Amino acid sequence: MWISALNRKLLRELLRLKGQIATIALVVASGITSYIALRGNYLSLEDARAAYYDRLRFAHVFARVERAPEWTARRIEALPGVRLVQTRIAEEVTLPLEGMSRPAYGRLLSLPPSREPGTNMVSLREGRLPARGRDDEAVVLEAFAQAHALKPGHSIPVVVNGKLRELRVVGIALSPEFVYAIRPGALVDDPKRYAVLWMERSALAAAFQLDGAFNDVTLRLQPGASEAATCAAVDRILSPYGSNGAYTRKDQVSNRILTSELAQLEALSSMIPLVFLGVAAFLLNLVLGRLIRLQRHELATLKAIGYTNWEIGRHYLALVVVVMVPGGLFGILGGVSLGRMVMGAYAAVFRFPDLQFQLSGQLIASALLVNLLAALGGALLAVRAALKLPPAEAMRPPMPASYKRSLFERLGLDALLGPSGMMVLREVLRRPLRSALSAAGMAGAVALLILGRFGWDSITSYFEGTFRREQRQDLSVSFARPVAPRAVGELSRARGVRTAEGVRAVPVRIRHQHRVRDSVLIGLPNQATLRKLVEHGGKDLSVPPDGVLVTSALGRILGFRVGDRVEVELLEGERPSVTPTVVGFIDESTGLQLYAQSDFVAKLAGDLGAVSSILLKVDPPELARVEGRLRRSPHVIDVADAVGDMQRMRDMNASFIDIWTFVSITLAASVIFGVVYNNARIALSARGRDLATLRVLGFSRHEISQVLLGGLFIEVFLAIPFGLLLGRAWAAQFMSSTLDQETFRWSVVVEPRTYLMSSVVALLAGAASALLVRRSLDKLDLVAVLKTRE
Amino acid sequence: MDIQRTQPFDFERRAERVLGCEALRKIYRMGEVDVRALDGVDFTLYAGELLVLLGVSGSGKSTLLNILGGLDVPTSGRVFFHDQELSEADEDELTLYRRRYVGFVFQFYNLIPSLTARENVALVTEIADDPLEPEDALALVGLGDRLDHFPAQLSGGEQQRVAIARAIAKRPAILLCDEPTGALDSKTGILVLEVIERINRELGTATAVITHNAPIAEIADRVVTLADGRLHSERRVGRRAKPSELTW
Repeated sequence: MWISALNRKLLRELLRLKGQIATIALVVASGITSYIALRGNYLSLEDARAAYYDRLRFAHVFARVERAPEWTARRIEALPGVRLVQTRIAEEVTLPLEGMSRPAYGRLLSLPPSREPGTNMVSLREGRLPARGRDDEAVVLEAFAQAHALKPGHSIPVVVNGKLRELRVVGIALSPEFVYAIRPGALVDDPKRYAVLWMERSALAAAFQLDGAFNDVTLRLQPGASEAATCAAVDRILSPYGSNGAYTRKDQVSNRILTSELAQLEALSSMIPLVFLGVAAFLLNLVLGRLIRLQRHELATLKAIGYTNWEIGRHYLALVVVVMVPGGLFGILGGVSLGRMVMGAYAAVFRFPDLQFQLSGQLIASALLVNLLAALGGALLAVRAALKLPPAEAMRPPMPASYKRSLFERLGLDALLGPSGMMVLREVLRRPLRSALSAAGMAGAVALLILGRFGWDSITSYFEGTFRREQRQDLSVSFARPVAPRAVGELSRARGVRTAEGVRAVPVRIRHQHRVRDSVLIGLPNQATLRKLVEHGGKDLSVPPDGVLVTSALGRILGFRVGDRVEVELLEGERPSVTPTVVGFIDESTGLQLYAQSDFVAKLAGDLGAVSSILLKVDPPELARVEGRLRRSPHVIDVADAVGDMQRMRDMNASFIDIWTFVSITLAASVIFGVVYNNARIALSARGRDLATLRVLGFSRHEISQVLLGGLFIEVFLAIPFGLLLGRAWAAQFMSSTLDQETFRWSVVVEPRTYLMSSVVALLAGAASALLVRRSLDKLDLVAVLKTRE
Repeated sequence: MDIQRTQPFDFERRAERVLGCEALRKIYRMGEVDVRALDGVDFTLYAGELLVLLGVSGSGKSTLLNILGGLDVPTSGRVFFHDQELSEADEDELTLYRRRYVGFVFQFYNLIPSLTARENVALVTEIADDPLEPEDALALVGLGDRLDHFPAQLSGGEQQRVAIARAIAKRPAILLCDEPTGALDSKTGILVLEVIERINRELGTATAVITHNAPIAEIADRVVTLADGRLHSERRVGRRAKPSELTW
């Protein structure tokens, strides 16, 4: 016979335990699915990023300058650790495209005369680069081209330095600088409204009067070179030419957002599979432990006839392998399809030349190995107990389960529950560890549900709460260059405009003791009504006539308190410094800023109070007309509409959130289902006799179901609040570990409806598995059960 | 309540039928063969009597008891509880029948290990219409001082007496005992029989005791012997022996 007797026994047991094995395999599959999908996406994106950055020579250091003579580039080149320097011209433009109610904004970048930039190369997807000497040809970023169905040969209108030009699209390209293309100051990407265009250097030099000069420079460094030292040196060289301060990849918008997304993926790919690993190990321990208890006599017989501990141990551990086969298979299949689905969502947002979900043998092997180890770990504990049993001891029936009176009863509260209630309670209390582990596993699943939704809740709450309270304007008008303050008066008298307030923003460097940070100083009018500053606790603060208000996160970073004086150096022009007093801290969710009265900023900048943007409150029916008029102005670089931004951001996130909610519900339900089902099966096998006795005594099916399932529902009810708290804590941990604290400080918000949804999913999954077990209760053979003696 | 019955059971005067069956058949299909566990049994249990159902293992006595107690249904034949036909009853009606009228005592006690003696009895008193207090029921079986002990803390005889207390606490119309002494030594077994005998005598509960142990038949008013699924013999006992007089 090719199957040994022992294996035949195993096969028959597997057949009998098929329901339990299926649910454990489901938990294992869920764990492997989530690991492969998340980790696979993380690795694929990370690899794609590294390869892409390397191949297209993505710069390490970036700097903007007003206008620097070309020869300064050679001084930068001579800096230690610098490998390559690429100067260029970079300007903001608007694109009044036909059929769009609002203009698109664009970034115009020059291509070097050699056509092949030393850094930040473009990857042509279609067409060609602009022909030498042609000032009307442009290469367009793929995302924008796709959003407008642009092809080589099409023309687009572009306002270049105040003049409307028709540019011919000759090529479609991708760039490592714009993997995530977002308009500066915007909250989300909007491919329809943000363009990147590459043109001949000579064409841009002529258009912006930058012959023999540049206003943007990017550097590639040698391995091991200090980025901070290079930034400082570049600042020293460029500061006479109006430098805004050099920055590194860490602060490059596209890379920063990609990095933050990768950090989130990495955190998720280790947090989520952990829940499944733990639960799978626990369930295997539970089922195997029960099987071994039921088979004490068989075990003793096996030992008595000469089987070794190893043979018996291997026999039971084979069960684990059987669980792993379907679990692994479905897990890999699920992981690949979920991974591809998530990758599809990423590919729509992060533009790489060839972004694909990479499934490596190593990834599969690590997923299977980690799961196998966890499962074996769970099983070993149960098997060890069996092996330690001496054969003679195993031959005797086990000691009857012993129960004790609990504190609950000593307080006299048992009268409230009655005997059947006490049966339920004592069953839970008799195995506190098992009950606690069951509850913990299900709490982990509930926490996953919270983790799947809290991002949406937090964003929504930020927009509907903080954002609307702080930013009360309907439109925010930005100018290409600061404009004279009379523009505010002119706009406030325009038809439909209720209020207009000018805002001045200048780049500054803040020093306090030995600490330094680059920041933005924002000047607001004396009685600002549209931009509100809110201190911790929700009280509005008005801008002080003397001194500055500071984002509290910046105060923490630089370590100063109210009353301290800080050095504020303007990073423009002559770079003058002042040392105002900090008069208060404000709670802000984004950025690190200082606020002062506009007069203070004007004095520092040495002008008469120019404004860089104007906030408008507009009569609702006039909104479209006012916006239309503004966007026709050549000086206006952007007209932002806060509500529109918010709507877009929600739409953008909706598809991700939907996938993730669906996935987290499926995964969490599989865990809860697995835990309740296995616990119930085991309770049924352990207590079938008790339950049959109750039936004989005249209890109805419904009543004995309550006795059997009551304990499980206590565990589910314990798991829910604990899981909600755990989910909240995970969300906070996730947020603080993955979000760049200097950019975003969204508070973690979990809406009541998310708590409710998570609780309902837990209850439904628990109820579904309970119903399945209840069917077995209906088939309980009273006569047979009473005949047997355990 | 404490009426000492020295006279033999008067079958003529108190011949009210509590439980009965006619032409009862139960056939189990075991693989390829039909096993006739009961093969045309006519049987009656009268109000107030103590009946012993004697038979060797496999004679069909447990099957008969299970059918009479509403745990099992016959293949053919009729079963009556007073004038109601149990063989026509559905699942819910049988549950109700057990709940209201039948007290069971099993060979292996079938106590709930997670409940104390008092709670095991309360399990029944809570769903019965006019029960004894659990404490009174336990006092009746001589366990008034073991109320809060769990089964694991009681001896076999004590566990069986808890099971009896649980069975009688609902003041059942019928007490059905399946090998109540089967798992006990003879000394403890006699203690348990004394309790059963006293319950029958004091509460007047019609009682059927199944056993394969012939000497026990001496405590009965009537002895019915089953063999091969058929009624083999029936005899009335002139004078019930006291359990303490038995030996086996």
